[in-house]
Amino acid sequence: MWDSIEGFFSSGIVFNLTNYFFFLYGLALLSLYFAGVLLASRAIKKTKQKSTFLQVGDIVSATDIPTVTLVAPAYNEGLTIIENVKSLLSIQYPYYEFILVNDGSKDDSLEKLIKEFDLERHDASFITQPIPTATVRYIYRSRNKKYTHLTVIDKNNGGRADALNAGINFANTELVVCTDADCIIEQDALLKMVRPYLEEDEKEIIACGGGIGIANDSIVSNGVLKELKLPKSIVPMVQVVEYIRAFLLGRMAWGEINGLMLVSGAFGMYPRKRVLEVGGFNAKTVGEDLELCIRLRMHMENLKIPYKVVYLPETLCWTEGPPDYSILVKQRDRWARGLWETMSLHKKLFFNPRYRYMGILYYPYWLFFEFGAPLVEFFGLICIIAFGFFGWINWPVAILLFFAVYLLGCLFSTAAIFMYVKSFDHYTKPKQIIELLLAAYLEPFVYHPVIVYGQMLGYYKKIFKIKSGWGTMTRKGFSASGS
Amino acid sequence: MGKVLVIQEDIIIRRILERLVSINNFECKSIRSLNELNIEDQSTNYDFIISDILFEGIAPLEFVAQVQEVLMHKNLLIVTHMGQEKTKKEIFALRGITGFYAVPIDLDEIEAIIQAY
Amino acid sequence: MNEIILLGFIKFLILALVVYWVAIGISLIYRARRNYRLHKIEVTFADLVSRYLFNSVDAPLSIREINASLRQVGIKPGNPNNIQYLIRLLIRTQQSIIGSKNEKLNKLYAQIPPYGESVSKVNSWGWYRKARGIREIYEMNQHQYFDRIFKYRNHRNVYVRREAQIAMVVFRGWESLRFLSYLKRNMTLWQQIKIVEKLYDNYPKPELKWLRKAYKSERSFAKCLLMRIIRKFELHSEIDFILKHLFHPDYNLRETAIYCLGTFAVSSEHMDFIKKNYSKLPNSSQQALLLDYISENSELDVDFYLEQLYGPNEDLILNVAEILWNNGHKEKVQEFYLQQYPKATLNVG
Repeated sequence: MWDSIEGFFSSGIVFNLTNYFFFLYGLALLSLYFAGVLLASRAIKKTKQKSTFLQVGDIVSATDIPTVTLVAPAYNEGLTIIENVKSLLSIQYPYYEFILVNDGSKDDSLEKLIKEFDLERHDASFITQPIPTATVRYIYRSRNKKYTHLTVIDKNNGGRADALNAGINFANTELVVCTDADCIIEQDALLKMVRPYLEEDEKEIIACGGGIGIANDSIVSNGVLKELKLPKSIVPMVQVVEYIRAFLLGRMAWGEINGLMLVSGAFGMYPRKRVLEVGGFNAKTVGEDLELCIRLRMHMENLKIPYKVVYLPETLCWTEGPPDYSILVKQRDRWARGLWETMSLHKKLFFNPRYRYMGILYYPYWLFFEFGAPLVEFFGLICIIAFGFFGWINWPVAILLFFAVYLLGCLFSTAAIFMYVKSFDHYTKPKQIIELLLAAYLEPFVYHPVIVYGQMLGYYKKIFKIKSGWGTMTRKGFSASGS
Repeated sequence: MGKVLVIQEDIIIRRILERLVSINNFECKSIRSLNELNIEDQSTNYDFIISDILFEGIAPLEFVAQVQEVLMHKNLLIVTHMGQEKTKKEIFALRGITGFYAVPIDLDEIEAIIQAY
Repeated sequence: MNEIILLGFIKFLILALVVYWVAIGISLIYRARRNYRLHKIEVTFADLVSRYLFNSVDAPLSIREINASLRQVGIKPGNPNNIQYLIRLLIRTQQSIIGSKNEKLNKLYAQIPPYGESVSKVNSWGWYRKARGIREIYEMNQHQYFDRIFKYRNHRNVYVRREAQIAMVVFRGWESLRFLSYLKRNMTLWQQIKIVEKLYDNYPKPELKWLRKAYKSERSFAKCLLMRIIRKFELHSEIDFILKHLFHPDYNLRETAIYCLGTFAVSSEHMDFIKKNYSKLPNSSQQALLLDYISENSELDVDFYLEQLYGPNEDLILNVAEILWNNGHKEKVQEFYLQQYPKATLNVG
């Protein structure tokens, strides 16, 4: 039937199928992005209007609002731990507790904390642990009345998810917020995050996320972001654009149709009761934030209780993004493995009508367009090389098509930047906006291929069962003011 | 003439308190945060400090403790939006607090304290 | 043919990009100017209101001067955005002050802009403007428009009906409980919080007649609201209403009851009632909360704690053990843990 490989590939069926596959895949993705822009615009407008009726000043003076615990795991963060803790203690919320979980640090983190905050050791024998974790050695509370809201849990190393679970076990508030010790949280973040819980009556809020921003090379003083600057190098600068697009367009759009399947591990608020019911974070996956959100949703579907996962468009948490390509690849490798693990763990959702929209639409979307995208891109690259080698590509049309698709991508990024600039005052200088736009336009050439490489590396490791955990992300730290 | 320091981020409350103090014949210095104090202000012994507890980058209790350590004063009045009973108890537990007023505030009460001094 | 289509499409995309660039530029310039203008209005308003509240005897500030100063910073009929901002400042100030100065502020508000803005908003079709209008009316004490607002208490939009319900409390006080408890749609937590706050700020003297009439309501949000009122006003005489819902089948009602109970120290009869029914609570987190309350508000009842220690609820064992351990009954805890392990035969040489 085919007398050579060339014959096989150049046969109409294979050639046409391949073309139609990429065309339909691209069209579907573009349609989703376009719908996303419209939904996100509507969602942002509605959020802004709603906030008129429930302002931060109203909440800070209110009684009967939900109590909140912020849980932050820390591992070997001795260099900046004191500053980080003081920063997290300064968050403004009337009924607020802060639990720092020292996850078996090998450096002097704990000693520094004990000295600075005048901590007193307490026995952990009577602490109930609804979620099993690595052994909790001791609980520390401060003797100093200034630090009544601080608790330090010292435990054996178990990983980030395990540390979060230990903190959630110990908390006794209605809501828990999970973050990282080195994140900079806006002072009024909790006041804003608690809004959906106060206003919703028809559906229970099971997770609430806030926007996360990249603060590399910004001026930070005493754990507060004093001056937000754009990163100097291209890798984190493109991430600024990527995060704006992902949070402002992607998450807001999905949130508008209650299709959010992910609340970022860097900053997410959950009702403690529901997290305990589902058994907390899964310590066996590196994508524990996505996995928890899906499990919470499934739990509520099983209970047949109406629920919602919501997102706030404002950037409430600032973090340090990977500063160079090698760390970026490690990060994306980990995210890809986390995605793989979560998709396999919950494969029963796939087109399962029992889980309604989550089974029929949201999980398939994640499978085809989040999990599948790097595979499709990689496959596309192979096809271009192969078809080009065989001389089957109409180069003038291909180049024009490439340019058109490139411009579409630029348009979506520009739309995201426009919505960000219109809604918030984080980047107000023309020079910053120009740099952001340039970063967005360079992204497909200098950044996106590296992302795909990182993701494929992650999949490769999963296919060939190469063990790899969180890895270490070397952080430069934020610059202090005056230095 | 007595000296009063008002520390409030909210410009409306700050101006109102500043006016209240001035009209009662006190010399008033009003600032948005402790960063605005100069060396001379820091060495003044204030008859009253009227301060909020919600400031950027510092926990409320730590701020109050810092004010008590750093600034000389005879009376410390707290005027704040975060005026729940729990917060009030924690603030008073630090000791040295003359009064705690949750917003909405009755300006007549504060004026009475200033006038009675 | 494909090339022509693609070229046309590319031109369209480039045009769209240029439009976005221009829009970004305009947005940046507009926001910078707007923030400057708003800051100026805020500073001027702060200055005027402080001078008005504590008016100088020698050179008193007149309403005419106030209006002139506001006009100078852009508070004019043709500038609705500035007027809206001024309204926000007025409300913010109103919410910050009580007592005689609050009444003085009300007199000021009646004599300066906003030129009938709020009531015209109430008549608009969109929920946003309507709800804002209602809010402005009750925050600035415009009693005369109450009848126009009252009909929105059951509006399909949650923000409109919320503001209308709050307005009812602001203008009618305790009597409004008559209507609130029988509203058709559910009331969110924030609505309840706001209503309790407004009742407390504007009508601090409880009128138990209206409260007790509202007890008849079957709506769970109404019960939660009433319990919150009892808690806020510390109405010890009404504590039975809270205790009645402590073991209710509805999770949220129980949660609210446990929370509200925390404000009170109950009598020994009430405490016996709580202990007697304690095991009826189906949720262990709520049991833990109630256990904390019992331990903090009553004498140590060893029999009660032993009953829980040897009871079926394993989630509570550690909590109970801690209470007994820290209150001089270590041996009972040790006994409990020892009896969990069957006796072993010792082989000694």
